[in-house]
Amino acid sequence: MKNWLPIVLIALLTLVYAAEKNNGPAVELNAEAAQPRQVEDVTEKAITRDYANAWKVLETALSENRTDQLASGFAGVAQDKLEKRIEGQRASNLKVRIIDRGHKLEAIFYSPEGSALQVHDTAQLEIEYLNGNSVVHREQVTQRYLALLTVGEDRWKVRVLEEEPQS
Amino acid sequence: MIARNSVGAGVLARAVMGLTLLSGFAFAADLKAPKQATAGESITITAADSGHLLLFGPGGATKRKVSAGDVQIPGEDVRAAGRYMAILDDASAEFYVVAAKPSTVNFLARPSRVPVSRPDAISGVAFVFDEFQNLFLKPAPVKFDLSVKENAPATRTVESKNGIAFTRLPSASKEGAAQFVASVAGGTPVRRVVQQVASDACDLRMKAQKTDKSIIVETDPIKDCSGNAVPDGTIVTFIEVTDKGRSTVDARIKRGTARAELPLSSNGTISVASGVVTGNELHLGGGQ
Repeated sequence: MKNWLPIVLIALLTLVYAAEKNNGPAVELNAEAAQPRQVEDVTEKAITRDYANAWKVLETALSENRTDQLASGFAGVAQDKLEKRIEGQRASNLKVRIIDRGHKLEAIFYSPEGSALQVHDTAQLEIEYLNGNSVVHREQVTQRYLALLTVGEDRWKVRVLEEEPQS
Repeated sequence: MIARNSVGAGVLARAVMGLTLLSGFAFAADLKAPKQATAGESITITAADSGHLLLFGPGGATKRKVSAGDVQIPGEDVRAAGRYMAILDDASAEFYVVAAKPSTVNFLARPSRVPVSRPDAISGVAFVFDEFQNLFLKPAPVKFDLSVKENAPATRTVESKNGIAFTRLPSASKEGAAQFVASVAGGTPVRRVVQQVASDACDLRMKAQKTDKSIIVETDPIKDCSGNAVPDGTIVTFIEVTDKGRSTVDARIKRGTARAELPLSSNGTISVASGVVTGNELHLGGGQ
Protein backbone atom coordinates (compact mmCIF):
# COMPACT_ATOMS: atom_id res chain seq x y z
CA MET A 1 0.00 0.00 0.00
CA LYS A 2 2.87 2.33 0.92
CA ASN A 3 4.36 1.81 -2.54
CA TRP A 4 1.24 3.29 -4.13
CA LEU A 5 1.30 6.48 -2.08
CA PRO A 6 3.82 8.45 -4.23
CA ILE A 7 1.99 7.45 -7.40
CA VAL A 8 -1.35 8.57 -5.98
CA LEU A 9 0.22 11.86 -4.83
CA ILE A 10 1.77 12.49 -8.23
CA ALA A 11 -1.54 11.70 -9.92
CA LEU A 12 -3.35 14.14 -7.61
CA LEU A 13 -0.78 16.86 -8.22
CA THR A 14 -1.08 16.31 -11.96
CA LEU A 15 -4.84 16.63 -11.72
CA VAL A 16 -4.57 19.84 -9.68
CA TYR A 17 -2.03 21.25 -12.14
CA ALA A 18 -4.23 20.30 -15.08
CA ALA A 19 -7.27 21.89 -13.43
CA GLU A 20 -5.33 25.11 -12.78
CA LYS A 21 -4.04 25.16 -16.32
CA ASN A 22 -7.55 24.63 -17.58
CA ASN A 23 -8.70 27.80 -15.81
CA GLY A 24 -6.23 29.90 -17.73
CA PRO A 25 -3.17 31.84 -16.62
CA ALA A 26 -2.65 33.42 -13.23
CA VAL A 27 -4.23 36.85 -13.09
CA GLU A 28 -3.92 39.37 -10.26
CA LEU A 29 -5.99 42.52 -10.21
CA ASN A 30 -5.28 45.65 -8.22
CA ALA A 31 -8.34 47.87 -8.49
CA GLU A 32 -7.43 50.51 -5.90
CA ALA A 33 -6.66 53.22 -8.46
CA ALA A 34 -9.79 52.74 -10.54
CA GLN A 35 -11.67 55.95 -11.32
CA PRO A 36 -14.32 57.35 -11.22
CA ARG A 37 -16.06 54.40 -9.63
CA GLN A 38 -14.77 51.90 -7.13
CA VAL A 39 -14.65 48.31 -8.33
CA GLU A 40 -16.87 46.00 -6.29
CA ASP A 41 -15.39 42.78 -4.85
CA VAL A 42 -17.69 40.61 -6.94
CA THR A 43 -16.66 42.50 -10.09
CA GLU A 44 -12.97 42.09 -9.24
CA LYS A 45 -13.42 38.33 -9.04
CA ALA A 46 -15.41 38.24 -12.27
CA ILE A 47 -12.79 40.34 -14.10
CA THR A 48 -9.95 38.13 -12.90
CA ARG A 49 -11.77 34.97 -13.95
CA ASP A 50 -12.94 36.29 -17.33
CA TYR A 51 -9.62 37.93 -18.26
CA ALA A 52 -7.84 34.64 -17.54
CA ASN A 53 -10.37 32.85 -19.71
CA ALA A 54 -9.84 35.37 -22.53
CA TRP A 55 -6.09 34.74 -22.51
CA LYS A 56 -6.63 31.00 -22.51
CA VAL A 57 -8.88 31.41 -25.53
CA LEU A 58 -6.30 33.70 -27.19
CA GLU A 59 -3.48 31.23 -26.68
CA THR A 60 -5.47 28.36 -28.17
CA ALA A 61 -6.64 30.49 -31.07
CA LEU A 62 -3.13 31.66 -32.00
CA SER A 63 -1.45 28.29 -31.62
CA GLU A 64 -4.13 26.32 -33.48
CA ASN A 65 -5.28 29.07 -35.86
CA ARG A 66 -8.85 28.71 -34.66
CA THR A 67 -11.40 31.48 -34.38
CA ASP A 68 -14.36 29.46 -33.14
CA GLN A 69 -13.80 30.12 -29.43
CA LEU A 70 -12.86 33.79 -29.67
CA ALA A 71 -16.34 35.11 -28.95
CA SER A 72 -16.30 33.54 -25.50
CA GLY A 73 -13.55 35.92 -24.39
CA PHE A 74 -13.50 38.78 -26.86
CA ALA A 75 -15.91 41.22 -28.44
CA GLY A 76 -15.90 44.13 -30.84
CA VAL A 77 -12.58 45.52 -32.03
CA ALA A 78 -10.43 42.99 -30.18
CA GLN A 79 -12.33 40.08 -31.67
CA ASP A 80 -12.20 41.55 -35.19
CA LYS A 81 -8.45 42.08 -34.99
CA LEU A 82 -7.79 38.61 -33.64
CA GLU A 83 -9.88 37.06 -36.39
CA LYS A 84 -7.87 38.96 -39.01
CA ARG A 85 -4.64 37.96 -37.32
CA ILE A 86 -5.57 34.29 -37.34
CA GLU A 87 -6.80 34.54 -40.91
CA GLY A 88 -3.37 35.96 -41.85
CA GLN A 89 -1.53 33.26 -39.91
CA ARG A 90 -3.61 30.55 -41.56
CA ALA A 91 -3.03 31.96 -45.05
CA SER A 92 0.76 32.09 -44.48
CA ASN A 93 0.97 28.84 -42.52
CA LEU A 94 2.24 30.67 -39.45
CA LYS A 95 1.44 30.18 -35.78
CA VAL A 96 2.24 31.73 -32.44
CA ARG A 97 2.55 29.71 -29.28
CA ILE A 98 2.32 31.53 -25.98
CA ILE A 99 3.43 30.10 -22.67
CA ASP A 100 1.70 32.37 -20.23
CA ARG A 101 3.49 33.10 -16.95
CA GLY A 102 0.81 35.37 -15.56
CA HIS A 103 -0.72 38.83 -15.62
CA LYS A 104 -0.71 41.70 -13.16
CA LEU A 105 -3.60 44.03 -13.81
CA GLU A 106 -4.04 47.55 -12.55
CA ALA A 107 -7.51 48.96 -13.05
CA ILE A 108 -7.34 52.58 -14.16
CA PHE A 109 -10.88 53.35 -15.28
CA TYR A 110 -14.23 51.94 -14.24
CA SER A 111 -17.14 53.66 -15.92
CA PRO A 112 -19.73 55.44 -13.76
CA GLU A 113 -22.50 53.00 -14.68
CA GLY A 114 -20.20 49.98 -14.20
CA SER A 115 -20.20 48.53 -17.69
CA ALA A 116 -16.61 49.19 -18.84
CA LEU A 117 -13.28 48.67 -17.14
CA GLN A 118 -9.83 49.61 -18.40
CA VAL A 119 -6.68 47.96 -17.10
CA HIS A 120 -2.94 48.06 -17.58
CA ASP A 121 -1.69 44.50 -17.80
CA THR A 122 1.92 43.53 -17.22
CA ALA A 123 2.22 40.07 -18.70
CA GLN A 124 5.08 37.59 -18.41
CA LEU A 125 5.12 35.61 -21.61
CA GLU A 126 7.22 33.13 -23.48
CA ILE A 127 6.40 33.43 -27.15
CA GLU A 128 7.30 31.01 -29.91
CA TYR A 129 6.83 32.00 -33.54
CA LEU A 130 6.27 29.08 -35.89
CA ASN A 131 6.64 28.80 -39.63
CA GLY A 132 4.69 25.65 -40.37
CA ASN A 133 5.64 23.47 -37.45
CA SER A 134 9.16 24.87 -37.01
CA VAL A 135 9.90 27.35 -34.27
CA VAL A 136 11.71 30.19 -36.01
CA HIS A 137 11.99 32.54 -33.08
CA ARG A 138 11.54 32.27 -29.35
CA GLU A 139 11.50 35.04 -26.77
CA GLN A 140 10.67 35.78 -23.17
CA VAL A 141 9.02 39.14 -22.70
CA THR A 142 7.51 41.32 -20.05
CA GLN A 143 4.84 43.00 -22.11
CA ARG A 144 2.53 45.83 -21.12
CA TYR A 145 -1.00 45.73 -22.50
CA LEU A 146 -3.85 48.16 -22.32
CA ALA A 147 -7.11 46.29 -22.15
CA LEU A 148 -10.69 47.46 -22.14
CA LEU A 149 -13.30 45.04 -20.88
CA THR A 150 -17.04 45.46 -21.14
CA VAL A 151 -19.71 43.47 -19.44
CA GLY A 152 -21.82 41.24 -21.67
CA GLU A 153 -24.79 39.04 -21.04
CA ASP A 154 -23.07 36.72 -18.58
CA ARG A 155 -19.41 37.74 -18.41
CA TRP A 156 -16.78 40.38 -19.03
CA LYS A 157 -15.23 40.34 -22.46
CA VAL A 158 -12.08 41.96 -23.79
CA ARG A 159 -13.07 44.67 -26.27
CA VAL A 160 -9.66 46.28 -26.77
CA LEU A 161 -6.27 44.62 -26.24
CA GLU A 162 -3.23 46.58 -27.36
CA GLU A 163 0.43 46.17 -26.56
CA GLU A 164 1.96 49.35 -25.24
CA PRO A 165 5.40 50.50 -26.37
CA GLN A 166 8.06 49.84 -23.76
CA SER A 167 8.92 53.08 -22.00
CA MET B 1 60.74 39.84 -29.32
CA ILE B 2 60.14 39.13 -32.95
CA ALA B 3 58.54 35.83 -32.09
CA ARG B 4 56.44 37.59 -29.59
CA ASN B 5 55.63 40.17 -32.22
CA SER B 6 54.96 37.43 -34.74
CA VAL B 7 52.76 35.69 -32.17
CA GLY B 8 51.11 39.06 -31.53
CA ALA B 9 50.63 39.55 -35.26
CA GLY B 10 49.13 36.07 -35.53
CA VAL B 11 46.72 36.80 -32.72
CA LEU B 12 45.88 40.12 -34.35
CA ALA B 13 45.34 38.47 -37.73
CA ARG B 14 43.13 35.80 -36.19
CA ALA B 15 41.20 38.44 -34.26
CA VAL B 16 40.68 40.51 -37.42
CA MET B 17 39.59 37.37 -39.28
CA GLY B 18 37.27 36.42 -36.45
CA LEU B 19 35.77 39.89 -36.29
CA THR B 20 35.30 39.90 -40.07
CA LEU B 21 33.52 36.56 -39.88
CA LEU B 22 31.56 37.69 -36.88
CA SER B 23 30.57 40.99 -38.44
CA GLY B 24 29.74 39.16 -41.66
CA PHE B 25 27.51 36.78 -39.71
CA ALA B 26 25.97 39.62 -37.78
CA PHE B 27 25.37 41.45 -41.01
CA ALA B 28 23.81 38.35 -42.56
CA ALA B 29 21.53 37.99 -39.59
CA ASP B 30 20.71 41.68 -39.36
CA LEU B 31 17.20 43.01 -39.67
CA LYS B 32 16.43 46.63 -39.00
CA ALA B 33 13.00 48.13 -38.38
CA PRO B 34 11.93 51.52 -37.05
CA LYS B 35 11.24 51.43 -33.33
CA GLN B 36 7.84 52.99 -33.78
CA ALA B 37 5.46 53.57 -36.68
CA THR B 38 2.03 55.06 -37.19
CA ALA B 39 -0.94 52.87 -38.01
CA GLY B 40 -1.71 52.69 -41.72
CA GLU B 41 1.59 54.26 -42.82
CA SER B 42 4.04 52.13 -44.77
CA ILE B 43 7.39 51.36 -43.18
CA THR B 44 10.76 50.17 -44.39
CA ILE B 45 12.55 47.17 -42.94
CA THR B 46 16.14 46.68 -43.95
CA ALA B 47 17.20 43.10 -44.49
CA ALA B 48 20.83 42.11 -44.77
CA ASP B 49 19.99 38.95 -46.62
CA SER B 50 17.32 37.59 -48.90
CA GLY B 51 14.80 35.03 -47.77
CA HIS B 52 11.31 34.84 -46.34
CA LEU B 53 10.36 37.75 -44.15
CA LEU B 54 7.73 36.80 -41.58
CA LEU B 55 5.76 39.62 -40.01
CA PHE B 56 3.59 38.91 -36.97
CA GLY B 57 1.34 41.69 -35.73
CA PRO B 58 -1.80 42.22 -33.66
CA GLY B 59 -4.01 42.46 -36.74
CA GLY B 60 -2.41 40.03 -39.15
CA ALA B 61 0.53 37.85 -40.11
CA THR B 62 2.31 37.76 -43.45
CA LYS B 63 5.12 35.88 -45.17
CA ARG B 64 6.87 37.47 -48.14
CA LYS B 65 9.95 36.64 -50.17
CA VAL B 66 12.44 39.49 -49.97
CA SER B 67 15.84 40.39 -51.34
CA ALA B 68 18.60 41.95 -49.29
CA GLY B 69 18.09 45.67 -48.83
CA ASP B 70 15.09 47.82 -48.06
CA VAL B 71 11.75 46.07 -47.85
CA GLN B 72 8.61 48.19 -48.05
CA ILE B 73 5.82 47.05 -45.75
CA PRO B 74 2.58 48.59 -47.01
CA GLY B 75 0.40 50.59 -44.63
CA GLU B 76 -2.39 48.04 -44.85
CA ASP B 77 -0.14 45.47 -43.11
CA VAL B 78 0.47 47.74 -40.13
CA ARG B 79 -2.99 49.10 -39.40
CA ALA B 80 -3.42 47.56 -35.97
CA ALA B 81 -1.70 49.27 -33.06
CA GLY B 82 0.59 47.11 -30.95
CA ARG B 83 3.77 45.10 -31.12
CA TYR B 84 5.06 43.61 -34.36
CA MET B 85 7.77 41.00 -34.79
CA ALA B 86 9.68 40.72 -38.06
CA ILE B 87 11.69 37.54 -38.56
CA LEU B 88 14.09 36.61 -41.34
CA ASP B 89 16.02 33.40 -40.78
CA ASP B 90 17.90 33.92 -37.51
CA ALA B 91 17.35 37.65 -37.42
CA SER B 92 14.45 39.38 -35.77
CA ALA B 93 13.33 42.93 -35.09
CA GLU B 94 10.43 44.23 -33.07
CA PHE B 95 8.61 47.50 -33.48
CA TYR B 96 5.47 49.17 -32.22
CA VAL B 97 2.68 50.71 -34.18
CA VAL B 98 0.73 53.50 -32.50
CA ALA B 99 -2.70 54.81 -33.41
CA ALA B 100 -3.14 57.34 -36.21
CA LYS B 101 -5.00 60.59 -35.50
CA PRO B 102 -8.35 60.33 -33.70
CA SER B 103 -11.31 60.04 -36.00
CA THR B 104 -14.22 58.58 -34.10
CA VAL B 105 -15.62 57.85 -30.67
CA ASN B 106 -17.58 54.98 -29.21
CA PHE B 107 -20.00 56.58 -26.82
CA LEU B 108 -21.80 55.26 -23.76
CA ALA B 109 -24.51 57.53 -22.35
CA ARG B 110 -26.38 56.60 -19.18
CA PRO B 111 -29.10 56.49 -18.09
CA SER B 112 -31.48 56.40 -21.02
CA ARG B 113 -34.23 57.99 -18.88
CA VAL B 114 -33.64 60.51 -16.12
CA PRO B 115 -35.68 62.93 -13.99
CA VAL B 116 -35.17 66.64 -14.71
CA SER B 117 -33.02 68.97 -12.59
CA ARG B 118 -30.78 66.30 -11.06
CA PRO B 119 -27.12 67.19 -10.56
CA ASP B 120 -24.59 64.84 -12.22
CA ALA B 121 -27.43 62.55 -13.25
CA ILE B 122 -26.20 61.89 -16.79
CA SER B 123 -22.85 60.29 -17.52
CA GLY B 124 -21.08 60.08 -20.84
CA VAL B 125 -18.04 57.93 -21.58
CA ALA B 126 -16.27 58.33 -24.91
CA PHE B 127 -13.65 55.91 -26.22
CA VAL B 128 -11.43 57.62 -28.78
CA PHE B 129 -10.38 55.58 -31.82
CA ASP B 130 -8.46 56.24 -34.99
CA GLU B 131 -9.77 55.22 -38.40
CA PHE B 132 -8.34 51.71 -37.97
CA GLN B 133 -10.16 51.07 -34.69
CA ASN B 134 -7.07 51.59 -32.55
CA LEU B 135 -7.58 53.22 -29.19
CA PHE B 136 -5.93 56.64 -29.36
CA LEU B 137 -3.83 56.73 -26.20
CA LYS B 138 -2.44 60.27 -26.31
CA PRO B 139 -4.58 63.02 -24.75
CA ALA B 140 -7.24 64.33 -27.14
CA PRO B 141 -10.04 66.82 -26.44
CA VAL B 142 -13.52 65.28 -26.54
CA LYS B 143 -16.53 67.58 -26.69
CA PHE B 144 -19.78 66.58 -24.97
CA ASP B 145 -22.98 68.48 -25.79
CA LEU B 146 -26.29 67.93 -24.03
CA SER B 147 -29.30 69.82 -25.34
CA VAL B 148 -33.06 69.66 -25.00
CA LYS B 149 -35.31 71.10 -27.71
CA GLU B 150 -34.42 74.68 -28.51
CA ASN B 151 -32.51 75.32 -25.28
CA ALA B 152 -28.80 76.13 -25.49
CA PRO B 153 -26.71 72.98 -25.04
CA ALA B 154 -24.65 72.30 -21.96
CA THR B 155 -21.13 71.79 -23.33
CA ARG B 156 -18.07 70.27 -21.76
CA THR B 157 -14.70 69.54 -23.30
CA VAL B 158 -12.74 66.81 -21.57
CA GLU B 159 -9.25 65.61 -22.41
CA SER B 160 -9.07 61.86 -22.92
CA LYS B 161 -6.68 59.75 -20.91
CA ASN B 162 -5.56 56.37 -22.21
CA GLY B 163 -8.19 56.73 -24.91
CA ILE B 164 -11.11 57.48 -22.59
CA ALA B 165 -12.91 60.72 -21.72
CA PHE B 166 -15.88 60.88 -19.39
CA THR B 167 -18.13 63.52 -17.97
CA ARG B 168 -21.12 63.94 -15.74
CA LEU B 169 -23.79 66.50 -16.53
CA PRO B 170 -26.92 67.64 -14.74
CA SER B 171 -30.26 66.92 -16.35
CA ALA B 172 -32.02 70.00 -17.72
CA SER B 173 -34.99 71.66 -16.05
CA LYS B 174 -37.28 70.95 -19.02
CA GLU B 175 -38.51 67.50 -19.88
CA GLY B 176 -38.04 66.01 -23.33
CA ALA B 177 -35.62 63.96 -25.39
CA ALA B 178 -32.14 65.32 -24.78
CA GLN B 179 -29.56 64.97 -27.54
CA PHE B 180 -26.28 63.88 -25.98
CA VAL B 181 -23.44 64.20 -28.48
CA ALA B 182 -19.75 63.30 -28.19
CA SER B 183 -17.18 64.28 -30.79
CA VAL B 184 -13.47 64.65 -31.47
CA ALA B 185 -12.04 67.36 -33.72
CA GLY B 186 -12.40 66.33 -37.34
CA GLY B 187 -14.39 63.23 -36.45
CA THR B 188 -18.02 62.27 -36.87
CA PRO B 189 -20.15 63.24 -33.86
CA VAL B 190 -21.92 60.36 -32.13
CA ARG B 191 -25.41 61.01 -30.82
CA ARG B 192 -27.39 59.37 -28.02
CA VAL B 193 -30.84 60.23 -26.73
CA VAL B 194 -31.49 60.65 -23.02
CA GLN B 195 -35.16 60.98 -22.19
CA GLN B 196 -35.59 63.58 -19.48
CA VAL B 197 -38.82 63.14 -17.61
CA ALA B 198 -40.58 65.16 -14.92
CA SER B 199 -39.14 64.76 -11.49
CA ASP B 200 -41.12 64.08 -8.30
CA ALA B 201 -44.38 65.91 -7.75
CA CYS B 202 -44.12 69.33 -6.18
CA ASP B 203 -46.81 71.09 -4.12
CA LEU B 204 -49.17 68.13 -4.36
CA ARG B 205 -52.74 69.26 -3.59
CA MET B 206 -56.10 67.55 -3.58
CA LYS B 207 -59.72 68.40 -2.98
CA ALA B 208 -62.57 66.17 -1.78
CA GLN B 209 -66.25 65.98 -2.48
CA LYS B 210 -68.80 63.99 -0.52
CA THR B 211 -71.46 62.06 -2.39
CA ASP B 212 -74.27 59.92 -0.96
CA LYS B 213 -72.13 56.80 -0.87
CA SER B 214 -68.48 57.90 -0.86
CA ILE B 215 -65.91 60.64 -0.84
CA ILE B 216 -64.38 61.52 -4.20
CA VAL B 217 -60.85 62.86 -3.92
CA GLU B 218 -58.99 64.40 -6.85
CA THR B 219 -55.66 66.16 -7.11
CA ASP B 220 -54.90 69.39 -8.90
CA PRO B 221 -52.76 68.91 -12.05
CA ILE B 222 -49.59 67.28 -10.73
CA LYS B 223 -46.33 68.95 -11.75
CA ASP B 224 -42.73 68.82 -10.62
CA CYS B 225 -40.94 71.84 -9.17
CA SER B 226 -39.88 72.98 -12.66
CA GLY B 227 -43.48 72.96 -13.90
CA ASN B 228 -43.22 69.73 -15.94
CA ALA B 229 -46.27 67.50 -15.80
CA VAL B 230 -45.60 64.30 -13.86
CA PRO B 231 -46.19 61.46 -16.37
CA ASP B 232 -49.51 59.68 -16.56
CA GLY B 233 -49.33 56.30 -14.88
CA THR B 234 -47.39 57.57 -11.87
CA ILE B 235 -48.92 56.20 -8.68
CA VAL B 236 -50.60 58.56 -6.22
CA THR B 237 -51.71 57.18 -2.86
CA PHE B 238 -54.75 58.47 -0.98
CA ILE B 239 -55.10 57.46 2.68
CA GLU B 240 -58.23 57.94 4.74
CA VAL B 241 -57.96 57.45 8.52
CA THR B 242 -61.20 57.43 10.52
CA ASP B 243 -62.32 56.01 13.87
CA LYS B 244 -63.47 52.92 11.92
CA GLY B 245 -60.03 52.24 10.46
CA ARG B 246 -57.74 53.07 7.60
CA SER B 247 -58.40 52.92 3.84
CA THR B 248 -55.67 53.20 1.23
CA VAL B 249 -56.22 53.64 -2.49
CA ASP B 250 -53.43 53.71 -5.10
CA ALA B 251 -54.49 55.65 -8.17
CA ARG B 252 -52.58 56.36 -11.33
CA ILE B 253 -52.23 59.82 -12.76
CA LYS B 254 -54.50 60.11 -15.78
CA ARG B 255 -54.48 63.22 -17.94
CA GLY B 256 -52.41 65.05 -15.35
CA THR B 257 -54.48 64.35 -12.24
CA ALA B 258 -55.21 61.42 -9.94
CA ARG B 259 -58.63 60.57 -8.64
CA ALA B 260 -60.03 58.01 -6.15
CA GLU B 261 -63.16 57.04 -4.29
CA LEU B 262 -62.90 56.58 -0.52
CA PRO B 263 -65.45 55.18 1.99
CA LEU B 264 -67.94 57.70 3.30
CA SER B 265 -67.18 58.99 6.76
CA SER B 266 -68.09 62.03 8.79
CA ASN B 267 -64.79 62.35 10.64
CA GLY B 268 -61.14 61.58 10.21
CA THR B 269 -58.39 62.77 7.85
CA ILE B 270 -57.44 62.16 4.22
CA SER B 271 -53.85 62.50 3.06
CA VAL B 272 -52.23 62.20 -0.34
CA ALA B 273 -48.69 61.19 -1.39
CA SER B 274 -46.73 60.41 -4.52
CA GLY B 275 -43.42 58.64 -4.02
CA VAL B 276 -41.65 60.43 -1.19
CA VAL B 277 -43.71 63.60 -1.62
CA THR B 278 -46.69 64.20 0.65
CA GLY B 279 -49.45 66.64 -0.19
CA ASN B 280 -52.09 68.47 1.76
CA GLU B 281 -54.26 66.85 4.40
CA LEU B 282 -58.05 67.20 4.59
CA HIS B 283 -60.02 66.90 7.82
CA LEU B 284 -63.46 65.38 7.57
CA GLY B 285 -66.35 66.74 9.60
CA GLY B 286 -67.41 70.29 10.23
CA GLY B 287 -69.03 70.40 6.85
CA GLN B 288 -65.85 69.55 4.88
